[in-house]
Amino acid sequence: MDSDQELIELVNEGDPDAFEALYRRYRDWVYRLAWRFTGNQQDALDVLQETFTYLLGKFPGFSLTASMTTFLYPVVKHLSIAARSKSLRFTSDEEILNEITVPVSKETQNSRSELAAVLTVLPDEQREVLLMRFVDNMTLQEIAKALNIPIGTVKSRLHHALKTLRHDRRTQDYFLE
Amino acid sequence: MTEKKGHFDEDLDLRISPKFSEDLNTLFKPQFSVPSEVDRAIMDQVNRRLVQRHWRHRVFRHVSIWRIAAAAAVIIFAFSLNLTQKSGPITSRSVLVEAQAVDIDRNGRVDILDAFKLARHIESAESTDKSLSLVSSTGQALQKQGWDINGDGLVDRNDVDLVALSAVRLDKNKGVL
Repeated sequence: MDSDQELIELVNEGDPDAFEALYRRYRDWVYRLAWRFTGNQQDALDVLQETFTYLLGKFPGFSLTASMTTFLYPVVKHLSIAARSKSLRFTSDEEILNEITVPVSKETQNSRSELAAVLTVLPDEQREVLLMRFVDNMTLQEIAKALNIPIGTVKSRLHHALKTLRHDRRTQDYFLE
Repeated sequence: MTEKKGHFDEDLDLRISPKFSEDLNTLFKPQFSVPSEVDRAIMDQVNRRLVQRHWRHRVFRHVSIWRIAAAAAVIIFAFSLNLTQKSGPITSRSVLVEAQAVDIDRNGRVDILDAFKLARHIESAESTDKSLSLVSSTGQALQKQGWDINGDGLVDRNDVDLVALSAVRLDKNKGVL
């Protein structure tokens, strides 16, 4: 399988198949992130299209200096905020958490609902870093680059978020002794 | 906003149950996947832009090569027909171009006979005036007739040589002036 860098080089040469490979690789990640920011499917799909249109516009001559997710994250975030303000639907990850309804079992439902409840307590910036780390699987360096903040700030936010979860009796089971 | 930065337990997230990440992913998983129409719309856009650009680039590159070749051919052809007129320092080529206009015997064509005639004029003049410069009366007379081919202020063997050279070149082009 070609690396992102190899695919980008091919797209720079005008290869549409290479762009499609990049699209397939990051489509679900972008969509999920956009859904998390916008809170609704239609806006998330709009953001998905706009994100890849933006990426397409970078070719030819595009060079990736960090990971693809680091490049895409601020694009998706920015477009999602714009989509949200345009459609005047102010749902977001926080509101998604408030609307969690259909888990599998009663026990699972309880644990997820409780996790959702505790997450809503976290400040936005702490929750954002936590989700980037555990949902988007981004490294601390990637998070720092994507948010354009020092890595120390990333560590600080993550630390405080995990500390809150660890000390809350509803979520302390997630933490190993 | 100020963030408390103290001592962080950097291994904190390593002591978290994998279930934490699983539950977060479930919480933030969109209920719907990306419809195939969206994939198609994006890929159509990609094909339109990249394929067109790819072909345009190829065609442009192709045409450019031919344009350069055609321009080079025109320049070479122009030189071969002595159609260019250069100003500035006198060079043998620019003088040669001017020499085409020197029809010494006024018979409508420049040939080797013009060179002979000019040579005879010079020889006869030399017998009366050694210097043949523009300041001399004989030299002025010759110069007035436009026989100072190389424009150096003297009508001498050099001018004869240029007429002869011009005649030879013109002869290759069937004497066309």
